[in-house]
Amino acid sequence: MNYFSQSPAQDIISSSSRFLAGYVLVSLGVLLAAGGGSWDINNHLMNKPETFFAPPHAVLYSGAGAVVTGAIILFRTSRHIGKIIRPIKLVVAGMLMLVVAGPIDFVWHSAYGLDGLLSPPHFVLVSGMIASSVGALAGMVYHGSMAFREPRLSSPLILIGMLPVWLATSGMVDMFSLPFSHTGYFDFDPHPVLGVAVATLAFPFLMSLVACSSSTLAGRRFGMVSAVGGAFIATNMLTSIVPNDALLATIPFYAANFIPFIAADALLSFSRSRILGYAAGAIIGIAFFTLYYPLITYTFDKVLEQKTIWPSLIALRYFQMIGTVLPLVTVPAAALGILGAVASDKLILKNKAL
Amino acid sequence: MILLAVVVATALLLYLTLSLNVFPQMYQSIEPRRPEAVITDVSLSTPVINLGQTFVISVTGTNRGEEADMQIVSAGFPNLTKAENIKVLEHNFAQTPILIDVGDHIGSEYSGNERRVNALYPSVEAFSRPWAGGSTYNIDLQVKPEAEGKFVVFVKSIAFPHSWNGAHWPHEGISDYQKELVEVYHIQVTKP
Repeated sequence: MNYFSQSPAQDIISSSSRFLAGYVLVSLGVLLAAGGGSWDINNHLMNKPETFFAPPHAVLYSGAGAVVTGAIILFRTSRHIGKIIRPIKLVVAGMLMLVVAGPIDFVWHSAYGLDGLLSPPHFVLVSGMIASSVGALAGMVYHGSMAFREPRLSSPLILIGMLPVWLATSGMVDMFSLPFSHTGYFDFDPHPVLGVAVATLAFPFLMSLVACSSSTLAGRRFGMVSAVGGAFIATNMLTSIVPNDALLATIPFYAANFIPFIAADALLSFSRSRILGYAAGAIIGIAFFTLYYPLITYTFDKVLEQKTIWPSLIALRYFQMIGTVLPLVTVPAAALGILGAVASDKLILKNKAL
Repeated sequence: MILLAVVVATALLLYLTLSLNVFPQMYQSIEPRRPEAVITDVSLSTPVINLGQTFVISVTGTNRGEEADMQIVSAGFPNLTKAENIKVLEHNFAQTPILIDVGDHIGSEYSGNERRVNALYPSVEAFSRPWAGGSTYNIDLQVKPEAEGKFVVFVKSIAFPHSWNGAHWPHEGISDYQKELVEVYHIQVTKP
C-alpha cells in the first residue's frame, strides 16, 4: 500500500493551497520590489548614490526573488494538474522580464553610471512587475470565482493582490511623467507638458480603477476601498515622505488623503446606483494631486517654474503650487476617475480579466 | 440616501478645505534651511615651482549651519586650458568629484543648475549630497601649470538651498565668470 499517494480531493486541496501560496508570494514580491523602487527614487534625489549596490536595490531585487519563487510554484503546480491558465502565463512572462532586467540593469549602471528613472532595463523591470502582479491578482480572482461563483476575493487577498498592481503601474506612470531621466548620456525626460498630461490622465484613472475593482471584488463591503487606499497611503508615506526629514511635518497633510477614499467607500458600499459608483470614481480621481505628493511636485514644476527643487524645499514648492494646480486638474481628474469606474465595471463584472 | 449624500459632501468639503486652505497656509510659513558654507583651510604644497612640475592644493570645507541638500567645494584654474592637468589625489566627499573642462555646461549665480553657462577654464567640483551641519570634507588636487608666471587658483564653496548670503563662501572678493565670489590663491611658476 502506498501511504504517500493522495486522493483526488486531497490533490485538489493541496494544489489550491500551492496556487494561493504562489500568487501571494508573487504579489508580496512585487509589493517589495515596488516599495524598493519608490525608496530608490527618493534615495537618488537625496543621496545621489553612485553604485548599483544600494539598499533600495537590495529590497527591490529581494522582491524580484520572491516573484521568481512564486512563479516557479505556480508553474510547477499548473504542470502537475496539466493546465496552465492565462493569469499564470502572465505571471511567468512578468517573472522572465524581471529576471532579464536585473543583469541588464547592472550592466547599464556599470556602463553609464548614475541612471535615470526611465531607462531600458527599468522599463523592462517595471513591465515585469506589472505583468506579474496583474497575473497574480487575476489568478486569485480566477480561483476565488470557482468558490464564490462570481468575481470575489477575501479582504486580505484583495489587499495583497491590488496594492502591488497599483504601485507597479504608478511606477510606470512615474517613468513617463517625472523629469528624472536626463543623465550625462541620455535624455529620456518627457516633454514637461506631456509629463503633466500623463500624470493628470493616468493617475486618476488608475486610482479609480483599483478602488472600484477592490470594492466589487469585496462584494461592495464597506471598508475595502478605505483599506486599499490606506495601504497605498502608508506605503508612499514610508517610502517617499519618512526618508526625507524635511517632509516629516507634512505627514498630517498626506494622511488627509484618507478622506476621499472613505467617502468613495461609503458611496460604493451603501448604494447600488451606477451613477453614485461613477461619482465615487470621480472623488477618488480628484485626489490624485495630493495622493502622489511629494514626487508629483517635480512633474508640475517643470511646466510652471522649472526651478531646482532641492529635497528640503519640496514641501514649500508643492504648497505654493497646489492652489493653482488643484482647481485646474479637478475636471479632467474627475472625468478620468469616472472612466476608471466604467473600466472597472467592464473588467471585473464581465470577467474579462480572466 | 440623503444621509449618504450629506456625509460624502461633507467629507469632500473637508478634504478640499484642508488641501487648498488649511495645509498650504500651515506649510508655506516653513522657512528654508540655512546651511552655512565655509572654507576652513586652503594649503598649497609650495609657493614656487618650475614649469613642468606639479604642486598639490588641499582644500577643506565645512558647513556651520543647518543640513545642506548639497554643498560644493570648487577650485578653478583660470591659467589652465585643459582639465587633464588636474588630478584628484584624495578626497573624503560623499560623491566622486567632477572635473569640469572648458566648454562644459555649469551652473551659475548660486542657482544650482537653473542658469547654466559654458565653463571658461577647468575646475574641480567636489560635493556631498547631503552635507550635514558640522561636517567637514577635504580634497587634495595635484595640478600641473602649463606656462610660466603667476598661476592663480579660485576657491569657493556653495551650499544648497542657497537660502541666504551665508550659504556661499567667500562673502566678498572678486567674481568669477559664473558670477559667484571666489577667494584667490596663487603660486609662482618659473623657468625650469
